Amino acid sequence: MGYIDTKKSTKAKVTTVGNTPINVVIAPRSPSGADSESLLTTIFKSVKSLFVGMKVTIGYLVRPSTVVTQQYPENRETLKMFDRFRGQLRLIKDENNYMNCNGCNFCEIACPNGSIVITDQRNPVNEKLELERFLWRLDSCTFCNACLQACPHDALEWSDGFEAAVYDRRLLVYTLNDYAGPPVKAINRAKKKEDRVEELLATMEPRKQYGGPVPLAGRKMPGVPALETENTKDNASPKHK
Amino acid sequence: MAVKISTLEERISVPAEGDNPLNTQEYFINMGPQHPATHGVLRLMLKLDGETVREVIPVLGYIHRGIEKIGEHQTYRQFVHLTDRCDYLSAMMNNWAVSLMVEKAMQTQLNDRIEYIRTIMAELERIQSHMLWWGVLGMDLGAFTPFLYGFRDREMITDIFEETIGCRLTMNYIQPGGLMDDIHPNFVKRVKDVIAYAKPKIDEYEELLSGNVIIQERLRNVGTITAEQATSLGVTGPVLRASGVALDLRRVAPYGAYGQVDFEVAVGSVGDCWDRYWVRVEEIRQSFRIIEQLIDNIPAGKTMLSKPAKKIILPEGSHYAQLETARGILGIYAVSDGKSENPVRIHMRSPNYHNVWSVDAMTRNARIGDLVANISSLDIVVPDIDR
Repeated sequence: MGYIDTKKSTKAKVTTVGNTPINVVIAPRSPSGADSESLLTTIFKSVKSLFVGMKVTIGYLVRPSTVVTQQYPENRETLKMFDRFRGQLRLIKDENNYMNCNGCNFCEIACPNGSIVITDQRNPVNEKLELERFLWRLDSCTFCNACLQACPHDALEWSDGFEAAVYDRRLLVYTLNDYAGPPVKAINRAKKKEDRVEELLATMEPRKQYGGPVPLAGRKMPGVPALETENTKDNASPKHK
Repeated sequence: MAVKISTLEERISVPAEGDNPLNTQEYFINMGPQHPATHGVLRLMLKLDGETVREVIPVLGYIHRGIEKIGEHQTYRQFVHLTDRCDYLSAMMNNWAVSLMVEKAMQTQLNDRIEYIRTIMAELERIQSHMLWWGVLGMDLGAFTPFLYGFRDREMITDIFEETIGCRLTMNYIQPGGLMDDIHPNFVKRVKDVIAYAKPKIDEYEELLSGNVIIQERLRNVGTITAEQATSLGVTGPVLRASGVALDLRRVAPYGAYGQVDFEVAVGSVGDCWDRYWVRVEEIRQSFRIIEQLIDNIPAGKTMLSKPAKKIILPEGSHYAQLETARGILGIYAVSDGKSENPVRIHMRSPNYHNVWSVDAMTRNARIGDLVANISSLDIVVPDIDR
């Protein structure tokens, strides 16, 4: 049989597939025919190969600096994800907690698996459509980034939170917006024109993370604390319509 | 080689062939669907005579998710992210195949920046796929150490993906008309670091596994398929090249930036497990060579040529594009009616589906222990078989 010396017996040549000449390297084989080695040489090379392999393993044993393992729960404080890491979806908010999202539905259309559901409402003050609820289903999201790509208003971003595991399936359906109301653009426009700013801000209604439609109709489960919603009676229907 | 189509029941009821001096009885045994050596939910029905394998019948469908059917209800841009879930170890190449098909149909001309980044990313993906395969092969044959080494080196490359794209496995990066994001400012430096780090590690792989006489004896002259058998079974990728056919689409029909780079195609001479093993290890080296030639001169330019809001409607008719993934030729075939955003039909010619049938030709009249080496050397990703 013979021992295959991987360093020596590689051959290079040119073959053709169709009419295309292709440079190939051919896999080494054990020497055969006139080149074949004696049994003793084969045995010597074979036994030597075992020790060469063992040298690699022992080398790592005596060099602990090469260890790459991270002790995960212990290094939580220092663990930093890359800035483009796709953790969890969230809406971009400014310092006053106003969001960029105006509920234009582009992300819902782009989403390949219906993980985003957006409800709109018409604002009674400036008569514009605005976001009522931005529902994101973590349980069906595939993190394909299509929503961020489709967003024309730069309203979405990924957080670096990767610890998404929960004990209750209802907790995987999020309402992303803090409030139902006008986006930052509409507020700034009203401030510029000094046109009914106070009235516009008064139309904002708070939204809780676990309001709106959730799996199992959001019902109470034994042993699981009840979800905190903004309006437990009828939390899915928008106020003004 | 004639192709015989028969049901599972018919194949089971075929009586034993050949002389049978010991008057032993043939029996069937299920390997899988839950078996660590089948790399997923692949079920192999083995017709055994003692330890000798008389026939291997792959039974598919345990992870069928209907990706092709779902694709009929999605736009081409949305369909890209589903191809990540087929052959998840060459996710980037799968994305590229869909993009290539759309760009070919729309006759989009891409700039050099997109082509260069795509090529570099695809080669990084090929390296990490082969590194993982190398570790798993060691583990299948009873050596646990390579598994850890393979994963350790692969992590360096997935870190590059995570920094630029944000994901490590299912990336959805290559889009019709360009790339989802520009490369991260650290990208070039990180790739160079990985090349400097990983190239000596390949020599370490050689010392640890390739040079090991036990591994050589486990792989050599085991599971031989000839070039004729391989071509008639439709086998592609490293499995075909190990049989001596130098069919590599990167060379034969260059796409991306492969026409501008210099590299050699690794081929085998016999077509046994050893050749398949060596071809893949050599492909890691050649991929590093390709990246080294491209990484320093990525030209400037836009990275997305089509606006995400613009609808992609392919011209009426059928469109096809194929490229070389880490496992073989992946072809995407789509039929468009010329009116809607969704394809009428999508079909994927997946490399693993065609490769898996060669396991019968390899293993006939060999021992059960060799079957594990054969499956491992095929480098099967089961979700790509069922889709």
